[in-house]
Amino acid sequence: MSPVVVTQALTKRYGPRLAVDSVTFDVRPGEVVGLLGPNGSGKSTILRILTGYLQPTSGSAQVGGFDVVTHGLEARRRVGYVPEDVPLYTQMRVTEFLMFMGRLRGLDGAALARAIDSACDRLALGPVRELLIAKLSRGYRQRVAIAQAVLHSPPLLVLDEPTNGLDPRQIIELRGLIRTLAESCAVLVTSHILAEIERVAHRAAILLDGRLLTIHTLASSGIQQWLRVRVRSNDAQAAGDAIRRAQGVQAAQQEATSNDVSTWRVQVLDPHGTEHVAASLCNAGMGVVEITEAASDLEALFLQLTSGQTQGLAA
Amino acid sequence: MKQLATLTGKETRALFASPIAYAVIAVFLALMGYTFTLTLFISKQATLVHIIFQSAALLILIVPIITMRQFSEERRSGTLELLLTSPVREIDIVVSKFLACMAVVATMIGMTLSYAVVLGVFGSPDWGPVYSGYLGLILFGACLVSIGLTISALTSNQIVAAVVSLGVFGLLWSIDTLASLLPGALENWFLGLSLLAHVTPFATGAMYTSDFGFFLTTTLLGLFFAVRALARR
Repeated sequence: MSPVVVTQALTKRYGPRLAVDSVTFDVRPGEVVGLLGPNGSGKSTILRILTGYLQPTSGSAQVGGFDVVTHGLEARRRVGYVPEDVPLYTQMRVTEFLMFMGRLRGLDGAALARAIDSACDRLALGPVRELLIAKLSRGYRQRVAIAQAVLHSPPLLVLDEPTNGLDPRQIIELRGLIRTLAESCAVLVTSHILAEIERVAHRAAILLDGRLLTIHTLASSGIQQWLRVRVRSNDAQAAGDAIRRAQGVQAAQQEATSNDVSTWRVQVLDPHGTEHVAASLCNAGMGVVEITEAASDLEALFLQLTSGQTQGLAA
Repeated sequence: MKQLATLTGKETRALFASPIAYAVIAVFLALMGYTFTLTLFISKQATLVHIIFQSAALLILIVPIITMRQFSEERRSGTLELLLTSPVREIDIVVSKFLACMAVVATMIGMTLSYAVVLGVFGSPDWGPVYSGYLGLILFGACLVSIGLTISALTSNQIVAAVVSLGVFGLLWSIDTLASLLPGALENWFLGLSLLAHVTPFATGAMYTSDFGFFLTTTLLGLFFAVRALARR
């Protein structure tokens, strides 16, 4: 299958400042790609170029095979976009707003009504459909913004910092939502929070100062977690075996040993991985000194790639 | 075309759902009613010339209030990004806002037709200047709205949009005074830009192609620049 998004040496300048510097990447159907980078690294600018809001200074970008500059309308028909600040017409009611946005995207009549019903079902907007958007909480506004973006079933959904301003429960719900949406379209999502990208994306593109440093393939989206486990046992080998036997454990590496306490870095692919590891060690008659969340591959990579900037900031 | 209708419907509803439209129309009609009554009792003539001139002068003050938020507010709140990333053309967005603003202007001007009805019932007015006067007012309003939209598209601050529009309208209204101080060729050129000079023939019952051309050209140029201002991003 051909990629939904293809960029070639995409470059954007704001006057003398280079916001995006020759970025090349693609997004394939059904894939969640995260754009990751510190504030000002060019993530939002790339999204704005792909959605037709900004024009590139040079290079090219295609969405669904259509160039975003020369065939802008066709490209925009294939994108659903949720900007960072979730702009909505707050004086409208939810259904009224969705009807307006649906009509702009060429939907009408029964097809529009079906699309609105479907989007409201997927995003659990039923209870607020007839409310003024101004009266909605931030979480519901985010859902309304996503609903307008998926109304026309676009092959590409673009989410700019979707977890900004949400409470922890809303963030968890949004993660699940992104995974569900990714079953029917490609998703391009930005965040400056590593864990968010790691939990939803199949691949993470790391950006710094407008440059694409690397595209990192994540082991598994959604449920990957890294733990640091400290075990009290005279037999470190046996401790490692006990950890590996726990349900959902993908890999375990010994990091250090001090007296009878060994420290392990454990990759788990189970939301209840911590409990499984603890139970396995207890069953093996070993003492669990501590289990904490550890830096992931992506986090280590990100720190390594951006260390120059971090040092610069510290100086 | 469907998208233009959708956008125009949304813009018109938004304008008429806000208190701004009603406040503007109410103040306009109150002032016009005062002028109509006063001039009728003083001059005792069945004419609307004063009404046409005063309407034009009030439009200069009122149109900036109608147009100031059209793009500025969308830009400030971020909804312009939603519109511009939807599969709609910039020209549709601009024309829809133009038509919505013109709906308010036309409603306002249309309500003063009741004065013409009163004159028709109780007197025998010369209908020529009445027809041409109202046509001139609509053309004049369209010209102001398109310039106001261009200015609104250039800033995210409503107050700046209103003040700059007011300044530009005031200058174009009275530029004939400046023209009288200038040498021949420049005088004609500046006179050609004067809104007052182009409205006066309509108000007095004379319709010239040049005045039509001026208002149509200015309106189209205003819309063109508003589209360019949106595309500049």
